[in-house]
Amino acid sequence: MNFLAASIESLGAKVVGWFTVGYGMAAFLTQAGLLLLEPATWNRATFDVVVKQVYFTAVQILHVFLGYALVISWLIITIILSTARDFGLTEFASEMAIRVLVLELLPFLTALFVALRSGSAINTEVALMQVNNELDALAHCKVPPMQFEFLPRLIGGVVSVVTLAGLAGLLALLMGYLAIYGMNTAGFEPYTRTIAKIFDFRIMAGLIFKCALFGLAVTLIPVTAGLETPKKLFMVPVSVLRGMMRVFFAIVAIEVVSLALKYI
Amino acid sequence: MTAVAALPDDVARVSHELPLRANLSALDNIALIPIYQGHFNVAESNRQALQLLEQLGHADIAALRDPDMTPVQRFVTKLARALILRRPRLVVDRPGAMLYDVPYPAFIRQLAMRAEMAGTWEIFDFSWNQALYNE
Repeated sequence: MNFLAASIESLGAKVVGWFTVGYGMAAFLTQAGLLLLEPATWNRATFDVVVKQVYFTAVQILHVFLGYALVISWLIITIILSTARDFGLTEFASEMAIRVLVLELLPFLTALFVALRSGSAINTEVALMQVNNELDALAHCKVPPMQFEFLPRLIGGVVSVVTLAGLAGLLALLMGYLAIYGMNTAGFEPYTRTIAKIFDFRIMAGLIFKCALFGLAVTLIPVTAGLETPKKLFMVPVSVLRGMMRVFFAIVAIEVVSLALKYI
Repeated sequence: MTAVAALPDDVARVSHELPLRANLSALDNIALIPIYQGHFNVAESNRQALQLLEQLGHADIAALRDPDMTPVQRFVTKLARALILRRPRLVVDRPGAMLYDVPYPAFIRQLAMRAEMAGTWEIFDFSWNQALYNE
């Protein structure tokens, strides 16, 4: 009986904890959204942090990321083409390759890439700022941490994931064409027709929205996890661990929901 | 020392509990304040911050970040940040915790003579350090 009560109690505590975390994130996001609308937010210092964030998240890793997207795209396209040939479904190969790569796999991998590189860094930095009282110091100087530190990271994350996923998608489209038709312009018309058929307004809007959600997940969750850190240095790794687990679950949840909405 | 933490908003504090933003240079740490409070542009805010560091005799530390600073340089940056707030009272909270390798009463007196500030400077320190101020 005691065991049952303890189990229910533990489960209840976990559920309350999840709701508390969810509420904290929603409140933080609302506050950030409201600040976005205030003209005072858009000063040079905030803009500079946005630019820095986009530079560190997207520009600095662009060559590595594009190389990685190139290899993945080439491999997946080759697998799809050879499988389609084996089953006599060659005419569907280009559509399938585009759908798998551009709509699903590349945005998902981009979000994971940015989460591992920038999300973990943001989580660590915010946790250290919290532990070292840097946020209190900014507040004492009436420099709002939300405007100066957090909002630019959210904007930078969204811009970076949308841009990187877009670039990777374009690269995959180019790879797809080269793999199917080679250095030949004869396939241009059927290939562009396939692209136009897939990317109608609804799909494009959904793709951009999904990438924006990914961008938000890989920045918002690390920031809020960092802010939850107790003022003890040894809690920083724990905060990063929790934050990155939440980011992973959020990315998978977004992808699953997006797949379900599209195909079920 | 809870009395120091509970000081009103019109007090500018220099304290080891209010560190500099670690990834910003000394100049950026100071210039942030005119940008956010005075709505000055970056060039003007940097000029004001540099002028303050010059007044305090430490213009050479403008590009340094917190981890690369000596305790004296860190203290001067924190002091400049507090001065640029232009609040009527300035409280230096337990200077011994920040300036542990210099005779700090004389050093702070020296800085106070250099800095142009309309308000008052107050030092909150442990009673057992009283003798240091009488030297």
